[in-house]
Amino acid sequence: MRKHYSLRYFTKQAMTGLWRNGVMSVASVAVLMSCLVVLGCFALLLININVNLENVAQLNQIVVYCEYDLDADAIEEIGSQIEEMDYIDSVTHVTKEDALETLREQSGEYEALYNDITPENNPLSDSFEIIYKGTDETEVFDLEAQLRSIEGVRKINSVYQVAKTLDGLKNGVMLVCVWFLAILFVVSIFVIINTIKLAVYSRRSEISVMRYVGATNWFITLPFILEGVLIGVFASLIGFAIETYIYNYVEKMALADLQMISVLGYGKIAIPLFFGFLVIGVITGIIGSVASLRKYLKS
Amino acid sequence: MIDFKHVKKFYPNGTVALDGVDLHIDDGEFVFIVGHSGAGKTTMTKLLLREEAVSSGSLIVGNYNLTKIKNREIPYYRRELGVVFQDFRLFPNKTVYENVAFAMQVVGTPRSMIKRRVPAILSTVNLADKIKCFPRELSGGEQQRVALARALANNPKIIVADEPTGNIDPKMSIEIMNLLMKINKLGKTIIVVTHEKNLVDYYKQRVVMLGDGKIIEDRVGGMFE
Repeated sequence: MRKHYSLRYFTKQAMTGLWRNGVMSVASVAVLMSCLVVLGCFALLLININVNLENVAQLNQIVVYCEYDLDADAIEEIGSQIEEMDYIDSVTHVTKEDALETLREQSGEYEALYNDITPENNPLSDSFEIIYKGTDETEVFDLEAQLRSIEGVRKINSVYQVAKTLDGLKNGVMLVCVWFLAILFVVSIFVIINTIKLAVYSRRSEISVMRYVGATNWFITLPFILEGVLIGVFASLIGFAIETYIYNYVEKMALADLQMISVLGYGKIAIPLFFGFLVIGVITGIIGSVASLRKYLKS
Repeated sequence: MIDFKHVKKFYPNGTVALDGVDLHIDDGEFVFIVGHSGAGKTTMTKLLLREEAVSSGSLIVGNYNLTKIKNREIPYYRRELGVVFQDFRLFPNKTVYENVAFAMQVVGTPRSMIKRRVPAILSTVNLADKIKCFPRELSGGEQQRVALARALANNPKIIVADEPTGNIDPKMSIEIMNLLMKINKLGKTIIVVTHEKNLVDYYKQRVVMLGDGKIIEDRVGGMFE
């Protein structure tokens, strides 16, 4: 005879189990959801650090600012000295007039603020934008030292330092993230194990009758595994909603206040993030259920 | 056919629950298993239900050799049995219909067949008019009849009743026993584990008496002595 097992039966049993152990079910969803939100935050932070790091690293650039009161000859001399140095790929002279023009263009609607500045009272100084060839840290530090030692150089802005700082930040975030998540996932698996154990305990008489009338192990355990899956699904859906809110808030804040940081649009990462949450949530739920039923399945 | 061949059962704490039991029960027989507390009745029931495995000897029930049965085969073996417990073990939040249907549902019986079969079984145990009642609305005897209906749900060849009248009054006990006799007449093998002398003496069926894990008497038409 063909067997008729309905998905509705299993889903109903799983939902009943969740409902009966309401507090533990909510705790399981909350802990797993927190894990997913934290995981999402770390992942999005890492992605954005990478994006910014790529932007920065592509430049491979050092900007050398001259003293304010140098005459044209002195500035030209600085340019010549830079060109003679090792590792230099290209040198672009940016006059203080060019710098003012660029600043004016970048100001957008506030351009009028610069109307009063004339070539005579321009507060900016000439600079040289250098693209270097070497990527070795020693070579870059050597080049930076040589540039600082040139007479008439006021300061240098090395993007290398920013890139290095961001890279260090990325590694630090990654390390904290891995440990933090490992702990959180262990905690959430334990909470799920307890929830499922409670569900099994509350239905022990039902299970014993099921066994006596010949229910197979998978028939008995499937609702509990489904319960774990539902915990994972609920946690991932709520977690995704919270993550969306957080990211949009941070994105707006970054765009408004921290214009130098580029933030990846949420549209590009929402779908992979959603499926990532769902897969991790469901797998964690299944691991928790199977772990709590392992002993039971053996008996 | 049920065949115990020199069956021994030891528990880890050293208790010898069954000590070389030889017993043959043919299809369609009605057998009382009697004995005082600690005689081995419960262990015999547990072995029959394959809740416990035999320590030595062999136990064959129908086409299943319970000495060699694999864990994954046990559910299919249990479908050959119907079990009735002293404490009924009904689901309080399910109606009479749902309690009986549940046994069929867990073995994957089609819904249409469940709808047809459950009322018929409930008629057999004289509970057709209680189909929508919950267990709390029934007397002890009626609850035991629901349990009996559930045991019959999957059309088993053997019914094992463990102290089926232990929780009900004498009048209801007669009713339950009469039903078991009626079911026996339909060709099912009935094994009733009990320590109720009056019932055993009244029905004069085969009586297997256990004492200290051994069969001390096996008599057709016997009495509880």
